[in-house]
Amino acid sequence: MNLLAEAVGFGLVTAAVIALAAVGLSLQVSVTNFVNFAYGDFMTFGAYITYSANVAGLNFFPAVLVGAAGTGLLGVVSNWVIFRPLVKRKSRTLVLLICTVGLSFIVQNAMVLIWGTNSDRYTVSIGNALHIGPFLFTPGDLILIAVAFGLLALLHIFLQYTRFGTALRATSNNSDLAQACGIDTGRVITWTWAISGLFCAVAGVGLALETNTLRPALGFNELFVIFGAIILGGIGRVYGAMLGALIIGILTEVSGMFADPAYKGAIAFAVVVLVLLIRPQGLLPSRGRSA
Amino acid sequence: MLFFVLDLLTLGAINAIMAVGLNLQYGQAGILNFTYYTFIAIGAYIAAVTTLGKPTLTGGVEQYVLQWRLPWPLALLLAGAVAGVLGLVVVLIVIRRLRSDYLAIVTVSIGFIIWNVITNYIPLFNGSNGLFAVPYILNGATVTPIEYTLEVLVVSVVVLAACLWVARSIFRSPYGRVLRAIREDDVVAASFGKSTTGSRVWVFVIGCIMAGLAGAMLVFYISAWNPAGFLPQESFILMAAIVIGGPGNYWGAVLGTFIFIELLSEIERFLPNVGNGAAVGAGRAILIGILLIAVVRFRPDGLIPERWLRWYKTKGPLPSGPASGDPPHLVTGRRGPHRLWGWALSRGKS
Repeated sequence: MNLLAEAVGFGLVTAAVIALAAVGLSLQVSVTNFVNFAYGDFMTFGAYITYSANVAGLNFFPAVLVGAAGTGLLGVVSNWVIFRPLVKRKSRTLVLLICTVGLSFIVQNAMVLIWGTNSDRYTVSIGNALHIGPFLFTPGDLILIAVAFGLLALLHIFLQYTRFGTALRATSNNSDLAQACGIDTGRVITWTWAISGLFCAVAGVGLALETNTLRPALGFNELFVIFGAIILGGIGRVYGAMLGALIIGILTEVSGMFADPAYKGAIAFAVVVLVLLIRPQGLLPSRGRSA
Repeated sequence: MLFFVLDLLTLGAINAIMAVGLNLQYGQAGILNFTYYTFIAIGAYIAAVTTLGKPTLTGGVEQYVLQWRLPWPLALLLAGAVAGVLGLVVVLIVIRRLRSDYLAIVTVSIGFIIWNVITNYIPLFNGSNGLFAVPYILNGATVTPIEYTLEVLVVSVVVLAACLWVARSIFRSPYGRVLRAIREDDVVAASFGKSTTGSRVWVFVIGCIMAGLAGAMLVFYISAWNPAGFLPQESFILMAAIVIGGPGNYWGAVLGTFIFIELLSEIERFLPNVGNGAAVGAGRAILIGILLIAVVRFRPDGLIPERWLRWYKTKGPLPSGPASGDPPHLVTGRRGPHRLWGWALSRGKS
């Protein structure tokens, strides 16, 4: 029982990282309507920028802000240079998808060139484990979970109660109609890339902290877990992504108790595939669009 | 030098088999299979374990299934068959109600599951250490490396020719036209009474069989295989090569893989190692990424565009059928569903 509680605790930490990443990706997918295969590399990029800013003398938390800003900028620039011209030309979704794969090659290997393939570490660590009730958390875990909750709550408020959030939801629901209503969808898309980059960078930093390694392939390897979460929640559904992340996170850690931990990634994916067989639209289906 | 050229040609021929199979799936049917390399790996593993005998290292250090000592042609066919069956299972899971881009993600997930199981379940294919000392085909054990390369080259070219013949037959058949119609617009294709699911299932399976054959030839040539050989990136690079070369045209696909997988990795050998050790490989991947995006942006049909555009020009408008009286704009202009209506109409049910 105690072990189970601990596994659930670890699952919560994993879920916090996945949720941040999955929500960012889901937000971007819901607005742009294509999946970004370079997203994992964006995560790594954010983590590396944070690392460099930290090494350059900035404190850790301001450094995370720099990383988030840098990743947001990377998203916006990618959109301007690569995706916007293609969307304007009404390219097929598959073509855009293939472009994101190309972008992933570029970003991931540019990081290899800049930071090398050796594993780096942050100067801060997540600290020693503490028993909190039945759970086993480190101070870093708690901060990470708090940050994830805080950011997700902020996003909720932003989406539901601000004018721009409404515009974003309208664009995601039906971009042509939103445009007809006078919403500058181009601007909405730009800001969506920026916000998505922000979430993704924080998730990348969290991932690097939790695994205590920072390699160019860090985010790319995590990408498919994030895809699992957003598929599970229904692609393009921001709240579904949170739910999917929670399920995947806890499932990954708890399944490690019952089977060889080496298979835990495979088990999580197997569940995703099973869910798809029963509910191809995900747990929280998107309304009308995409099926 | 002779060995170098032969090696290049042999690997080129094997890569071309992969390209033809993947191109059937992506170029013809528009199925984005991001785990194509998994099927190549399955072919390689099956070919290896069916030709290998008992493990040479005893004491449970080396473990794998089957150990049948089959003659290589049988192993080759078996590799294709197993990859095809696995492809059937995978495609039946993903194809039914998933949108094409979500399907791509799920293929990656399935590829990851297979990779994870093969790496961690040692009794199957010896886990992460992989298989080695796979028997040479023909009289490979007795000849020099150059002669062996030549032999593998000949066999690979024969397999490639067979695959090209199948691909060409599909391309020219009514079935191929249905596939292209589905690729352009599955709703239109379905409204003409074509089974969008069934058609794509079979082309996927055929593509996977070709992957299995290519994998078998690869393992016969390099005689070893392990999980590091089929990471997701391999499939991505192969896909990039197809898109750059020209999806829909099998010559474009073959050219793409030859240039972007073969030549680039060969050029790498002659470059000095600068910066950190991985710099050259990284530079190559960045180059592929930039080329991929540039080709999609400025030459969306690839370096060698799909062939039926030319076919139209030489043979004139639609040959016969209800659409032959349609105005000329149906058969000229850019590629799009409206052209395929005419196409599908003229051919009727397949």
